[in-house]
Amino acid sequence: MWRPSQSLQIRLLATLALLLLAAAGISAWALDALYRDLGLRARQDVLEAQIVALISSADIDSAGRLVPANLAEPRLATPGSGLYAEILSSRGSWRSPSALGSGLRLEARPAAGERVFEHASLADGTRVLGLSLGIRWEHADGSSRDFILRAAESLEPWYGEIVRVRTWLVSGSIALAVLLLAGLAVAMRVALKPLRRLESEIADIEAGRRAMLGSGWPRELAGVTGNLNALLAGERKRLERYRATLGNLAHSLKTPLAALRGLVESGQTGSQVLTPQIDRMQDIVQHQLKRAVFGGTGATLADLSLIEPLEQLRGALAKVYSDKAVRATLAVAPGTAYPIEAGDFLEMAGSVMDNAWKYCKGAVTACAKPWIAADWRRPGLELDIEDDGRGIPPAERARVQLRGARADESVSGQGIGLAVAREIAASYSGSLEIGDSPLGGARVSILLPGR
Amino acid sequence: MRLLVVEDEPALRETLAQQFRAAGFAVDLAADGIEGEFSGQEYPIDVAVVDLGLPGKSGLDAIRAWRAAGRSFPVLILTARDSWQEKVSGLDAGADDYVTKPFRFEEVLARVQALLRRSAGWSQPLLKSGLVELDTRGQEVRVAGAPVDLTAFEYRLLEYLMLRAGEVISKTELTEKLYEQDFERDSNTIEVFIGRLRRKLDPDGTRQPIETLRGRGYRIARV
Repeated sequence: MWRPSQSLQIRLLATLALLLLAAAGISAWALDALYRDLGLRARQDVLEAQIVALISSADIDSAGRLVPANLAEPRLATPGSGLYAEILSSRGSWRSPSALGSGLRLEARPAAGERVFEHASLADGTRVLGLSLGIRWEHADGSSRDFILRAAESLEPWYGEIVRVRTWLVSGSIALAVLLLAGLAVAMRVALKPLRRLESEIADIEAGRRAMLGSGWPRELAGVTGNLNALLAGERKRLERYRATLGNLAHSLKTPLAALRGLVESGQTGSQVLTPQIDRMQDIVQHQLKRAVFGGTGATLADLSLIEPLEQLRGALAKVYSDKAVRATLAVAPGTAYPIEAGDFLEMAGSVMDNAWKYCKGAVTACAKPWIAADWRRPGLELDIEDDGRGIPPAERARVQLRGARADESVSGQGIGLAVAREIAASYSGSLEIGDSPLGGARVSILLPGR
Repeated sequence: MRLLVVEDEPALRETLAQQFRAAGFAVDLAADGIEGEFSGQEYPIDVAVVDLGLPGKSGLDAIRAWRAAGRSFPVLILTARDSWQEKVSGLDAGADDYVTKPFRFEEVLARVQALLRRSAGWSQPLLKSGLVELDTRGQEVRVAGAPVDLTAFEYRLLEYLMLRAGEVISKTELTEKLYEQDFERDSNTIEVFIGRLRRKLDPDGTRQPIETLRGRGYRIARV
């Protein structure tokens, strides 16, 4: 069974070749049929003209035959010329000198006023077209006699012409098809060139010879290449972050490990001396895990509607802090959405809201609204979370955000939340700001830019 | 208090069981989600500690199944990843609080006690009935300010009665809640322990903190 080739180019060319062949065949056949039809008509017209000429020059001779007085057409006088005529009557018949020895035999015997075309062959096999016309000759005395006038012409020269025309038609069609296919192949190579370039550039990226796809792609490919570049950039960022995380983790575990080794070597193995080091390692691992959770910006993130995750967080925090009876208000402008990964958003908003619940006296508000700027096609996001706790003094604000920026500086509990939120915001090119809330406590604003 | 631990890691499961038993709980164990869901449906559980990543059936599904069947005991989830996504989905499914792994047992115990207290309608960790005070954090019992020394079982019995203060608790219920599934039950033991508790809380027999309702059970006044 024929299997379609894996190459788009070959598939397209094969299909087009079949189509072209069919088109050329049909047009050649139609042209041939038209040519034959017109040619036959022309041959018939010639025969009719010959018969009219015969009638106009003929007269009854003494024997009562109808005979042409003179032959206007010289071919009728030349034997084997290919044009023949005869006149039949009950009193004998006349044949043109050209018909002598030709073996012309036409069968039709039409009645007066009728005409019949017929194909016949001569003794030497020459194919001819014949016309027989029946006429009634009226004498002056009112009597009349019937004659049959016949003319025939060899079709061989015309058949020869048909063969020539067919040869031309077929070879012309083939040449045209070949030319068109060659042109298409060239056009396709030109059109598909950017795809081959894309292929080779991707191969280069795989081989590490190039970091990004180049520029100058045709409009149809610009979307794909743009997204691929964004994906590559996102993956590279992620990889860098993993590297940094692993580096930090390994680096920061060294110190407590060294301390543990020292304790064990000096024979101090009681849980009281070991537990602080184990706790420290646990904090480090937990901190790095938390940082590894968020995925960062992918190339194409769908818009996340923000009301549902904020409500989920409020429900969750209400359960966790059910002893506190916190009055929590959510204010989300209708349709507020932002292209962010759901896990990232939950982590970022959850960390900040958890702090608000933890430190508030009894009231928390979370407000999400689009952040509009003139040169953004899509708006950014502003998320403000406020509480009525003691707030964060201005001198502390920078430190709280930076705390835990590296694992070996990590301190469990307060602070990690805001640092994680700030890092997630930063991975979306956004920022986190700490201010005072009209409620009396802290106001944490997360600002994520639009695009 | 009867507590169900659903945890697939054997070492962690056994450690939790040991520590909770030492803290005075009757502990049922389940190693996967299917067994855990069954235990939660069939046994008179007061509180469950559920790991989210379980073989067979996820912890989330087990919690959803309990809630769908109308089982309302508080559930504490153990999450491996400290991510809000996991916490939110667990709390959404019907859990009441979470603890992130790795954890200190004291933290888990504090959360469990807080959940039990809250589900019984107490908002403070200190339970009071008349002159009797029970501090769930330190497992301390005082009468008129003077500490009373109770055995683990006596403490469990008193804590159960005080958490449900004002309600009549039958001997059958006490046996079910204070003994684990595989233990032999004998309601006479409860009578013996109630007698001992009374002597310790009220040596001269003047205050009668534990009321006996003949044929129905026991009650501690909610004051």
